[in-house]
Amino acid sequence: MVRGQGGDTPAGLRIEVDPGTLSLAIGEAAQLSATVRDTGGAVVDDATVVYYSRARRSVSVTRTGRVEAYRPGEFTLIALVPSNPGDRSRRPAARARVEIPVTVPLPPISEVAFARVPPVFYAGTQPRLRVVVTDTAGARRDDVPVMFATGDAAVASIDRFGFLTLREAGTVTVTASVDTESDALTIEVEDNPVASLALEVGADAARTGDVLRFTAVAADEWGRPVPGVPVRFAVGGETAPAIVAAGAPAQIAADGRFVAERSGTYTVIATAGTHTATRTVSIEPRDVAREVEVVGRGKVLDRRSSDLWVWEGTDGRDYALTGTWGADGHTYFWDVTDPANIEKVNEVQVDARTVNDVKVSADGELAVISREGASNRRNGFVVLGAGNPREGVPVLSEFTNQLTGGVHNVFVDGHHVYALSAGRRYDVVSIEDPRNPERVGRFELETQGHSVHDVWVSDGIAFSSNWTDGVVAVDVGGGGRGGTPERPVELGRYAYPNGWNHAAFPYRSQSTGKFYLFAGDEAYPYGGLANDAEDAQLPFRTAGWIHVIDWSDWDNPQEVARYQVPEAGSHNIWVEDDILYVGYYYPGGLRVVDVSGELMGDLYRQGREIARFVPFEPDGFAPNAPFVWGPQPYKGHIFFTDYNSGLWAVRLEEKTGPGRVIGEPQ
Amino acid sequence: MGTRTIGAVTVSLTLLALLGSRAGRVPAAAAPPEPPEQSYYVYVCAESEDEVALVRYGPGGAEVVKTIGVGSYPNEIEGPHGITVDPDGRHWYVSIAHGLPFGSVHKYETGTDAWVGDVTLGLFPATLDVSPATGLMFVVNFNLHGRMEPSSISAVEVETMAEVARIDTGVMPHGSRLSRDGTRHYSVNMMGGDLVELDALGFEIARRLPLGEGVQPTWVTTPTADGIAYVTGNNVARVFEVDLRSWRILRTFETGAGPYNLDVTPDGSTLVATYKGGDAVGFWDLGSGVERARVSTTRTIPHGVAVTPDGRYAFVTLEGVGSDPGTVEIYHVPTAERVGVVDVGKQAGGVAFWKTEG
Repeated sequence: MVRGQGGDTPAGLRIEVDPGTLSLAIGEAAQLSATVRDTGGAVVDDATVVYYSRARRSVSVTRTGRVEAYRPGEFTLIALVPSNPGDRSRRPAARARVEIPVTVPLPPISEVAFARVPPVFYAGTQPRLRVVVTDTAGARRDDVPVMFATGDAAVASIDRFGFLTLREAGTVTVTASVDTESDALTIEVEDNPVASLALEVGADAARTGDVLRFTAVAADEWGRPVPGVPVRFAVGGETAPAIVAAGAPAQIAADGRFVAERSGTYTVIATAGTHTATRTVSIEPRDVAREVEVVGRGKVLDRRSSDLWVWEGTDGRDYALTGTWGADGHTYFWDVTDPANIEKVNEVQVDARTVNDVKVSADGELAVISREGASNRRNGFVVLGAGNPREGVPVLSEFTNQLTGGVHNVFVDGHHVYALSAGRRYDVVSIEDPRNPERVGRFELETQGHSVHDVWVSDGIAFSSNWTDGVVAVDVGGGGRGGTPERPVELGRYAYPNGWNHAAFPYRSQSTGKFYLFAGDEAYPYGGLANDAEDAQLPFRTAGWIHVIDWSDWDNPQEVARYQVPEAGSHNIWVEDDILYVGYYYPGGLRVVDVSGELMGDLYRQGREIARFVPFEPDGFAPNAPFVWGPQPYKGHIFFTDYNSGLWAVRLEEKTGPGRVIGEPQ
Repeated sequence: MGTRTIGAVTVSLTLLALLGSRAGRVPAAAAPPEPPEQSYYVYVCAESEDEVALVRYGPGGAEVVKTIGVGSYPNEIEGPHGITVDPDGRHWYVSIAHGLPFGSVHKYETGTDAWVGDVTLGLFPATLDVSPATGLMFVVNFNLHGRMEPSSISAVEVETMAEVARIDTGVMPHGSRLSRDGTRHYSVNMMGGDLVELDALGFEIARRLPLGEGVQPTWVTTPTADGIAYVTGNNVARVFEVDLRSWRILRTFETGAGPYNLDVTPDGSTLVATYKGGDAVGFWDLGSGVERARVSTTRTIPHGVAVTPDGRYAFVTLEGVGSDPGTVEIYHVPTAERVGVVDVGKQAGGVAFWKTEG
């Protein structure tokens, strides 16, 4: 029994709850009984008792005090007697209140099972055995230590990680146990037929960032390959003499893929039992750096800018469309035919505070702009005639139906608009008749608390960015699984641990043919939000990077590389001609990255960065607070919007000699 | 270079022009009210600025004392919508409409305005109130996201900022207030057309009162001492007077266009209403049931209203359009005279009285 009473009410009541603590198994229920007494100890029969749980999804309590446990952990229930309804003072303390601790133990282990067992075991090797541990609630458990043992140490021993040491041929039983549950695996250890181990690689010299594939070939005494021999790779070596304290300058994966971050000489070692083989390769600096030249500006200094799109108008001239953020619904049309003389030729104002996203149809005829902060709270998107902005930009229609919560991002593919609805789903809206948009489809995840931030469509596949749910690929006509805009069919999804997925750009590598998905983060893990209006002008600290996912198989996405700028968080992405363009929060600026060839590891540290440009503007909306919203390469130039200074056009200068390489001596 | 406009930017200008012809409904005030000897403090949400302003009206007029940035994502407008101050005045709570995707309520300490904690709730948490009986906070999850699907009311323990109950209620619950004793919670479903009474001790819906075919209510007041609540019929330009004991509508007031938020003076004599569609504020004599004054606002789209505990002043928020600043207007309730105006961040909405000083 636990007792509680009101703290500062002279005529306070006491509440006693029985039992005072609970320990319940998952699925088990119990009944609480509360007794309310006055200061004299007399039972108050008509007292109202309010029960609630601070973790209702783990342990619930009804208004009558019935408790049920759902999930393991330590929880607290509350029982209180409300304050006197006649007391009109400002929030008297609850008259009596008591906490009931509830313990729901972790469920017992129900199964231990060996998994992914190698097909063959050879004496002299050290293969690893893995087990899957499951509890009675059906959950996979990685938080319990597994005890390994072998039945005959002369044949094999095993360490606490599951690595076997196979000493001689024979039969041996290996057991894995957790508490009272265990699994036994009988393995036949064969004589090791390996007589030699050779290590092969396609090239003896490469650049930083180039992926070399090492292959270890075990052969018997007759030179025949021996399949199934576990091989472990390692790499050592020396960086170039001038690189001091380089850290870990190279890596090799379990499948033999090697990449170096620093120039030098590296030796890869393959080990199979008692056999080893080595190969040494030389790595030169990648040396791709180029300078950036500012070609032209379309300044927007009186408000923040958002997304951009650059396209060729039906009149043959080149145009850029930029949105505005947290202002009064303006969208600007720029003639960028001569990037050195960018001219604002038109503007459209809609009822919105933020036009976060802008897109133009492939034929250049229609622009679609998103709306947030509309005064009538209907938001949606607006379709504009964009064929010849110099002559005019007619407002063709607005579409708000069921998009009232705000449209953050849109994409135009053919005559369909993919429009996000309040970060919850995306709707597919036909603009075949641009004056009468019509919803034809919709896609929404089914996961608990799902949220979507962006959608990008390429070759009939929609790639949405969904924060903790990661990137989701959906067939909307090009995925080969019968999907259409009217009936989207999911192809696959890939979520990564940080849960910051904000943007995605699908790309087929020109140099390798691999299909890569570049997934970008947006994250503010450092807190530090402005506390007053003056601070609001200061740039904020961000984090996040670009995740490179090899998605050649929809069912088997593999995150293979990252581009992570240490000092800033990423924003929007574009990839073209094996070059990655990324906009960064302060102070990252614009980054241009060589993504040619196979990608693996940390692209930033590999010296793949071609260029960086940080667009400081002392007269910006926030002075000298560059934040590159998003880039788009177009006809030899790179256009981008900066949040505080508007539209920029830059280009990469010709390479005239060795350039700066991050981490390398100059 | 051409310019095109679409939507309510143009519409609102038209409405402002129309309002000009109604100025005659403002009664000729007697003597102008004396400036207050005390200072009154309110917290005001600027929904498109992700900011809360502390506004003071006192002997020196109206001013913004400070602004507090709110939300978690500086590059996303998260939309602080509703705000309330704890009955003991020690903390204020602001609902943040947008999240990933769920909105939240954040707790701050009054005075220091230091952030204390938050809790993630449903889609678009809107209005909120803290019970003096249990200390629990009740928040309606408005879900202004387009699909007409039933939503909920969240009950939150504010000490730990833990959601302890979520009660299904109806489609787009918006305005909500607790009874004075904190045991009953009243809310209206904007697209369900009903007033809902929730047992705030048992977390169960007790009663529903349909307000009429097609009526879209947006607000319900804190019940008066006599058990009367006032409910807006936003789309039908009416306010319904509801007797909570008999659970029926006693009177219906024909109002200006788009009555949105309401508040009643503590003595129950005057109802102050914002007319969102009419860019005006109405002052109703509840004894006679007559609108004794209607005053055009200085900016478009009036939103919230909070009457001071002494019944002397009403703080009214005006959203504005686009990059307009939000505005707080202060009215002298007895004379319906506007006595103060001060701009805050964009789209001023929720407003909550904090304290009187001096």
